[in-house]
Amino acid sequence: MATEDQKETPVPDASTEPRSPEDTGDASGKHGTAGELYGYLAEYDTPGELTEAARKIKDAGFTEFDCYSPFPVHGIDPAMGIKRTILPLIVFGGGFAGAVGGMLLQWYCNAHAWTWNISGKPTWSIPANIPIAYECGILLSVFASFFGMWALNKLPQVWHPLFRSDRFSRVTDDGFFLGVEAKDKRFDAEKTKAILHDAGAIAIEPVHFDPDPSKKVMPKWIMALIVASTAFALIPFAIAAKARNSHSSEPHYHIFPDMDFQPKFKADTANDNFADGRSNRSELVGAVARGWLEEDTSFYDGLTAEAGGQWIDGFPALYPDVPNIVPALRGTAFAIDKKLLARGQNRFNIYCTPCHGYDGRGMGMVPTRVQQSGGSWQARNLVDRAGTVVQQPNGQLFNTITNGFPPGMMGYGAQIPAADRWAIVAYVRALERSQIASADDQKGSR
Amino acid sequence: MSLTKTLHPDEKFKAGKLGSNMVKAGVGLFVVMMVISLILGSMHGDSMKRFLYAYVIGWSWIATIPIGMLWLVLLHHLCRGRWTTVVRRICEVMAAAIPMVFVAGLGFALPVVFGNKTLYYWTADVAHNALLNPTIVHKLSWLSPSFWFVRYLAYGAIYTAISFYFWKKSKEQDESGDPKISDTLRRASGPAMILYAFTTVFLSFDVLMSLSPKWYSTIYGVTFWGSGNIGAFAALALIVLWIQRNGRLVHSVTEEHYHDIGKWMFTFTFFWAYTAFSQFMLQWYGNLPEETVWYKYRLFGDWQWVSIAVLVGYWAFPFLFLMSRWTKRIVPALVFFAVWQLVFHWLDLYWTAMPNYDWTTVSHGGQTLVEGPLANQIALHHVGFTPLDVTVWLALVGFLLVGIGRGLTGNLIPVKDPTLGLSLAHEQL
Repeated sequence: MATEDQKETPVPDASTEPRSPEDTGDASGKHGTAGELYGYLAEYDTPGELTEAARKIKDAGFTEFDCYSPFPVHGIDPAMGIKRTILPLIVFGGGFAGAVGGMLLQWYCNAHAWTWNISGKPTWSIPANIPIAYECGILLSVFASFFGMWALNKLPQVWHPLFRSDRFSRVTDDGFFLGVEAKDKRFDAEKTKAILHDAGAIAIEPVHFDPDPSKKVMPKWIMALIVASTAFALIPFAIAAKARNSHSSEPHYHIFPDMDFQPKFKADTANDNFADGRSNRSELVGAVARGWLEEDTSFYDGLTAEAGGQWIDGFPALYPDVPNIVPALRGTAFAIDKKLLARGQNRFNIYCTPCHGYDGRGMGMVPTRVQQSGGSWQARNLVDRAGTVVQQPNGQLFNTITNGFPPGMMGYGAQIPAADRWAIVAYVRALERSQIASADDQKGSR
Repeated sequence: MSLTKTLHPDEKFKAGKLGSNMVKAGVGLFVVMMVISLILGSMHGDSMKRFLYAYVIGWSWIATIPIGMLWLVLLHHLCRGRWTTVVRRICEVMAAAIPMVFVAGLGFALPVVFGNKTLYYWTADVAHNALLNPTIVHKLSWLSPSFWFVRYLAYGAIYTAISFYFWKKSKEQDESGDPKISDTLRRASGPAMILYAFTTVFLSFDVLMSLSPKWYSTIYGVTFWGSGNIGAFAALALIVLWIQRNGRLVHSVTEEHYHDIGKWMFTFTFFWAYTAFSQFMLQWYGNLPEETVWYKYRLFGDWQWVSIAVLVGYWAFPFLFLMSRWTKRIVPALVFFAVWQLVFHWLDLYWTAMPNYDWTTVSHGGQTLVEGPLANQIALHHVGFTPLDVTVWLALVGFLLVGIGRGLTGNLIPVKDPTLGLSLAHEQL
């Protein structure tokens, strides 16, 4: 705030208080005074003083003035008499348009122009479309706020009379300025200066338009750059449009030729190097990978070794010593222990329970659903005392798991390794035992 | 125009009889409503199951308010809050109601630990049946009534320790004016915030999510917290207004501060919707039975209307209007939305908890077994709203008022906080 002392001193404008040897005020500054008067630029010491000055200028009836500060100043908008910005409405409009546009885009692409059946999913589904619509809403509201702010502030403004003041360059650092334009009806060279000074200005200087009229317009090279870059951005679209509407016998343009043409033969292509004229080499008939001969018939087929073998009744004696058995078990004795049963239970619960149920009674989720929809089918009861499964030798049960029991049950040989199939057999036997145990079993267990 | 202000010379910032008035009103509300509730609850003749469900919903409602206010206190210190300082003492007092809230929670926690098996399905004997409930048995070491109760007490103890520490230190500053206390609290707020986050998430898992123990969701705790903070900020707006209507803080709390409270209400209205939709979107798209079952019983039958009411009433309508600057600055408009959101916060909790109420029985291997929540036919799955829901809720609101009122003594504003001047002069850009 200005004190009485300061008021009595002459107006401390730039000419009496040079900031640097080059900046010697409006009369002999490097920008000169030639040219029409733009207005006064007053500097204030603090944001608070700037706000008070703005209030005084507003109260004096000025409308053509503005405040400049390195950061937003609280409370300066009402002091300057600025109405609230309409930017929020622009942002709302942008966000709304983005969300609706995102929805429409998905409707057009997925449900209208190119409907495509993906796993039977509907082509139009609101929940699935919300993330895209949401992101589009965010994107457009951000664009609206960013570019809306530019437009409302009349940006980009590469030229402004105030830029001709050296003092003004401190506006991005620690300077607080108020500029009053000469075109304001109330502007009067002396009175305006006095108001600014009374409000506590630490410096006041007149600012003039550049006499060179070419400085008032956008520099030509910037305009040229904008035109050129706009034209350049259209090139890809032009190429795409040309390609869509013309025919050419030229080969495709390859951006990465060494990726497009790799020195190798691709499957299903012709090749003169081989007698059958094909690139792909098929397996020789009867070839077996090392360790996959599966010659242990008891372990892999559940059959005894002799020709026309019988189902084995117990379990294989050994795990084969071959690479397709886990290392810890290779060549070891087949032990029926808690670990095996736990593994069997785990595999059983994954592969068998959907039909046979956790208790093996044949009422898993699939038959439950069948019966809920009016059918009567159920899977085989594995633990029925009178049923066939209980009577079967282990080898036959193993064979059923491997090859299935058409038409109801498909084979699981491809999904479940042989060792795990035997673990399942052991677990099924344990399940049976739990359901059809006799009184003697109970005594024995004590 | 200055960036700081001093307390207005005519400002009344002593609580005086405000607290004891609130306690009296709270006790009256609690006693009357709890008597009615107990009568209504015992008339159901279901081992108080209906009563306990209403109790858990009402309790979650009163718990989220001090829990949300504790978060605001921690956040204030964590990021050197400014605008919050004028209302921070009120937030601290509301957060310090947490021990009373956990005492109120004994109303459902003690029955659980002493053998009432009607509230949580995991307390029922049949939950241990591995054939019928293969997806629950492995959770039962966590969901055992005694361990659950120990955790319940631990959550209460952690919240109480944090809220009392921040409250006590802040009152100390009222006496000494030592600015170092602010530094101490700032350093404490980081670890406290981490502890707070874990406590809140696990509290939501244990109290509300375990009502449907077969269901999976990892974002549940965040959604619970987000929804709770809508209620917490709404309650803050109402309590601050009530204090001003009683002639206190009239000069200190201005529309600028209401604006910020409104912003937080708006923020969490959207945050809750965002996380709730994230959960729905992933579960709907993933289409796994153990996840979609939760929505199946909310999106079909009677419950679909409650779902729509929550979507429109708790998100769309307040979101659209709270977006505007003026809704947050014109106090009557803000109060309307605060009351609105508090009611819908309750409906959201009701929507979360109540569909788990119906347990169905199945015939299995010649036995009749309770299959638990989310298993019966949609056509038989009704909303089943009763007056009990409201009376229990109001009784617990009374309990919360007692908890808050007990702390409303002495200064209503941290008079010697170094940031008070900035907070008093706070202005929105």
